Amino acid sequence: MSVEEDVVKVIVDQDRCVGSGQCALTADDVFDQRDDDGTVVLLDAAPPAERLADVRQAAVMCPALAITVEE
Amino acid sequence: MSIAAERPQLPFARPNVLDLAPLYDVLRREAPIARVTTPTGDPAWLVTRYEEVRDLLGDKRFGRSHPEPDKAARLSTAAILDGPTGNYETEEADHARMRRLLTPAFSAKRMNLLSGYMHELVDGYIDQLLAEHAASPDGVVDLHAGLAFPLPVAVICRLLGAPESDREYFSGLSERMSNLAIGEDAHQAFAEFSQYMIGLVEAKRAQPGEDVISDLVRAQSADAEFDYFEMVKLCVGLLFAGHETTVNRIGLGTLFLLTHRDQWDALVADPDGRVNATVEEIMRLGAPGDLGLLRYAHVDVEVAGVTIQRGDAVVLSINAANRDAAVYSDAEAFNPDRPERAHLGFGHGGHFCIGASLARTELRVVFAALARRVPGLRLVKRVEDLEVRTTITGGVTELPVTW
Repeated sequence: MSVEEDVVKVIVDQDRCVGSGQCALTADDVFDQRDDDGTVVLLDAAPPAERLADVRQAAVMCPALAITVEE
Repeated sequence: MSIAAERPQLPFARPNVLDLAPLYDVLRREAPIARVTTPTGDPAWLVTRYEEVRDLLGDKRFGRSHPEPDKAARLSTAAILDGPTGNYETEEADHARMRRLLTPAFSAKRMNLLSGYMHELVDGYIDQLLAEHAASPDGVVDLHAGLAFPLPVAVICRLLGAPESDREYFSGLSERMSNLAIGEDAHQAFAEFSQYMIGLVEAKRAQPGEDVISDLVRAQSADAEFDYFEMVKLCVGLLFAGHETTVNRIGLGTLFLLTHRDQWDALVADPDGRVNATVEEIMRLGAPGDLGLLRYAHVDVEVAGVTIQRGDAVVLSINAANRDAAVYSDAEAFNPDRPERAHLGFGHGGHFCIGASLARTELRVVFAALARRVPGLRLVKRVEDLEVRTTITGGVTELPVTW
């Protein structure tokens, strides 16, 4: 396995976001929610390898499909 | 005669509270968008595959309102999921306002802040169950009355600012509102619940607290577009949901785990490591109620080879979608280790469950604590012998356990 395989880029689409907060519940060091309307705020666009399982889970759980994890 | 021409009537009889009617599997394969008859005898489309259920949940051409509500097909005689709700012209704006108002109160951060309180409550309930068990001649206690019911109710009361001391009263109202077998009395219960809520709302107006009902009262009085009765209805809906959803899910989760001993033992061996995946599998496979989510087409829509006409009722079967063999390997198996991580247990799209973070947090706290503190837990009745409630939200009336 090469090192590059662990490098990912996380992208969030605030227009699609419905403020469910499932990402922040799953990986609160990578995602947050705006206080006023719950919209996603990306805290870390390149999370470390040990956080990738939770980040991928957050992307899968998103009810608006607003999170993309680019490998 | 084909299934499509038979118009089978909902609900389809199920073998027990954990398994679905076998007909769902046939429909997914042969008629994924099928003409059915609702329990009230009206025509509707039943959607059973994951792909279409998910797509239609996120499709803005469908809504909960109806262009001509008096002519709308009805799903049930309960006071929720019975027929169209809201105003056809303003549904989208009304819904957006409601989400905006409620989202901050149910955010992940708020739920994380509440998790300490949930831990305390759960530990207290388990202490009580341990004491009851020690004092009981046969060692049998009811996990429904002792944990599944009081926890979600206590938490929603605290969030909303409703007095927990009235819980027997509004749990009775919630049960009647959701009941499919009592005809008009379900709507009578909604009227009584609304009356109770008006009293609470006015008490909050006089003396606001740090709670969701106080926030809604404030927002309603500041917004001419926000109808007073809509606000009352929303408050009733939130308190209702606090009783009728997570309570049942704790019950279903307990039943899945205790009838799959290997999965219970695995959770006991590593509660913190396994509880999240276990809760997700409970959300996927747990199937409360026998109907589905109700939508009305706002325009003609072509989907999966059928034309759904404007005004048609569409029943989206979350239960069937979550067991779609096209999406899940060994779809009927309770397996928290499955590779497929997505499910529709909280819905999808713009109407996604506002309480999802609340429910996930509660369920994680409950099942980790149970596994840690009562590892020998077992059921003393067969699942088939448990009484299932005749409500929209289903679930059992008791969880007799021992250890």
